[in-house]
Amino acid sequence: MGISNWLSDFTFSKKSIAPLVVFRILFGMMMLISTMRFIVKGWLQELYIEPTYFFTYYGFDWVRPFDIYGMYLLYGALILSAIFITIGLFYRVAISLFFFAFTYIELIDKTNYLNHYYFISLIAFILLFLPANRSCSVDQHLGFVKRKEFVPAWNINLIKFQIGLVYFFAGLSKLNYHWLFEAQPLSNWLKHQTDLPFIGELMQYDFTAYVFSWGGAIFDLMIPFILLNKRFRLVGYIFVILFHTLTSIMFPIGVFPFVMIVSTLMFFSSAFHEKLLFHLQKLFSWNKNKETKKPEVYRQKTNKIHVFFIGAYIMLQVLIPLRFLIYSGDLFWTEQGYRFSWRVMLIEKAGYAQFYVHDAASGNKKLINTSEYLKPQQEKMMVTQPDMILQFAHHIRDQYSDTIIVEKNGLNVHLESPKITAEIYVSLFNKGSKLFIDSTVNLSKINRGFAQKKWILKNEN
Amino acid sequence: MGKTKQLLIKVLMLKRIFLLIVIFLTTFSCQKKGCLDPNAVNLDTAAEIADNSLCLYSDFKKADMLSNICDNYILPAYTNFNDQTLLFQDLAVSFTENPTIGNLEILRNQFREALLAWQAVSFIDFGPANVILLKTQVNLYPMDTALIKENIALGNYNLESALNNDAKGFQAFDYLLHLPDLNDQEIAYYFTTNDQVKVYLQDLANNLVMNSQYVVNEWQSYKTNFKNNSETNAQGSSTSNLVNGLCAYFETYIRKGKIGLPLGVFNGFSQQEMPELVECYYRQESLPFAIAAMQGMKKYINGTSFVASENRLGLDDYMNYVGATQGASPLSDVITNQIDAIIVSLEELNDPLSNEIFSNKSAVSKCYEEMQQLVPYLKVDMTSALGVLITYQDNDGD
Repeated sequence: MGISNWLSDFTFSKKSIAPLVVFRILFGMMMLISTMRFIVKGWLQELYIEPTYFFTYYGFDWVRPFDIYGMYLLYGALILSAIFITIGLFYRVAISLFFFAFTYIELIDKTNYLNHYYFISLIAFILLFLPANRSCSVDQHLGFVKRKEFVPAWNINLIKFQIGLVYFFAGLSKLNYHWLFEAQPLSNWLKHQTDLPFIGELMQYDFTAYVFSWGGAIFDLMIPFILLNKRFRLVGYIFVILFHTLTSIMFPIGVFPFVMIVSTLMFFSSAFHEKLLFHLQKLFSWNKNKETKKPEVYRQKTNKIHVFFIGAYIMLQVLIPLRFLIYSGDLFWTEQGYRFSWRVMLIEKAGYAQFYVHDAASGNKKLINTSEYLKPQQEKMMVTQPDMILQFAHHIRDQYSDTIIVEKNGLNVHLESPKITAEIYVSLFNKGSKLFIDSTVNLSKINRGFAQKKWILKNEN
Repeated sequence: MGKTKQLLIKVLMLKRIFLLIVIFLTTFSCQKKGCLDPNAVNLDTAAEIADNSLCLYSDFKKADMLSNICDNYILPAYTNFNDQTLLFQDLAVSFTENPTIGNLEILRNQFREALLAWQAVSFIDFGPANVILLKTQVNLYPMDTALIKENIALGNYNLESALNNDAKGFQAFDYLLHLPDLNDQEIAYYFTTNDQVKVYLQDLANNLVMNSQYVVNEWQSYKTNFKNNSETNAQGSSTSNLVNGLCAYFETYIRKGKIGLPLGVFNGFSQQEMPELVECYYRQESLPFAIAAMQGMKKYINGTSFVASENRLGLDDYMNYVGATQGASPLSDVITNQIDAIIVSLEELNDPLSNEIFSNKSAVSKCYEEMQQLVPYLKVDMTSALGVLITYQDNDGD
């Protein structure tokens, strides 16, 4: 079999629609649960209503949170669209609404960036183009769309690719000195788990941390291939369940383990998914054989536009996590090109910052009360991430630009575009806090963007 | 018999050879780095550079540390605080019944003792103390003296309302027992002639006792929960409460409240000194209270007993257990040394602090800088070494 044959088999050959349909239903249900959980926990209020400042993404500064009613409406749209995705009613509208609403919310504030939110955005984006409502859906039942029994293979494989890529890149990012040869940050994190029942005793040994580190890296790198292999799939899936259950007990990572356990079902065979659907239909006493209309006939055709877009998507997904190679310096210290790269639970970093506004005329400087502008979580994320430090400095600059301040003792301060400096201490992997950025540099004059941030000091050990 | 003896000698020989090998290895192969923590089982006195990640400890248990801090510091320190406020309450009654200069002096001395006792518990800022926001009820400053005067004059006040936090607690006693522009005789005379101020003084003393009593009582049941909540260091766990309370209290109420604010560090561009913001402004004595707070913190962090100077499991041992370092030194040492440096810099100052910030500004500034230096050690190095995260929501750790 030649490469082109293999490729066409991989992309445009006839495949059962069942895995795609099961995935749609499970995805809708998971999104429903996690959105409701988000609201019940009060995070909507805490993350999008209470803060007065939001760390937008470069190029997406136009994304702003709505007021409380607008935000609840947006979350209402998420819930409604998740329900519609699950039952497959007005599917294209529902998945579009879900994708745009979810992504919009995630773009509001970098503080809340999580790899699994990014994963959900990407999956929703892929689903936007797939006919996941062509079977076992209200749309099809009501005759809005014609039933399909088969889809081109890429419909299934692109989702598998996306899931596999998350694991593989998460594994690749673990192949660094700290993770492999210092068992960092796990050796530190595990030592706080000594009081856990049953496994607590093991946590005091460095050996345990090394087992977890190496085990985690090997698991991440190999699991996509194990799941692809028919013989080892079941064993692999048991490992998936064990791995994610363990991490969810040990670390506060919310719904992410659950999302991965459910999503990896995608790797199971068509027969497995058909069986699932059969039971589901029985549950709802929905007899497929009663269907009068015949399903759409599958015609294999190679669509060049599809090929181009799928290729471009795959290229981007591979290149984006590698963009950090363009930047010089220690990635974990500077975090240039860190996000959107499946770097999960990889570093232990903490910091402390003091910002100053300078009055050029008198040489006086004022200490900024950071908590006046930021919520604790925002401050915590900002102090270790240079792009956010710069954004906050600019925000302070804008608050003080073109102002005249008369202080209680009569001092008159006239500021035009004031100099902003910051004294920031950061500790990486608990090796002691050190000055993070040049504390003399005027941050108000530095432009945002993707250029190398030369004002970050070197991490010298 | 002979056989057993021979065996014993053999074992001893083997032990000695083993010891020699260990000594040989430690002296020749790791001459540079080694464990320098006396609490470790493998203290290496020959080491030149401390690398406490090499230290081995006989199974450190957080539960043991929490038990020790609770039984040997928190509980006795709170009991002492409560005893001192009760004594103050008694002496306040004696003074109002018989307002002589002598009784005034006795009451002032007890005020000082009780306030010193408060400093030793002030940073235990979680649990029962946090339920009633003890620190704002007990030692807020500056006082709203106009409100105090109004309360005395009208005789109609609700001390349990937060609106009166500015008119009660230790700093209200500071004002009432050291009324400005009056000498001791005049103050005694004022209490002799003014029944309303007598009532107010007693009400304030009763309110203080009510709060100290509440915390002592609550800890009797809370302690079990505190000792047992040791499985994780997530938000709400005992370690997290202890560390977060300590860091926030030191940063805001000691560094900023006791020195930074009066020094003018937080006063806009002018950095104008604000003498009226010192603790016990009317008594003109602030430094012993700051020193007491720092000494208390040092004991609390190091797991030292409140009464005796016995050192058991504390946050310092926890930091050593995880091998936390700052530069080439163990983090626990760096923190202890920094607290000592703060105490020394405070001892170099003279009361009244409200004058010292003008007349000896550089020394006060130096003291503030020493305090400032401790903030990243506690907030960054200690919290991250102990895995105490400010987790407001789930995150996947990036």
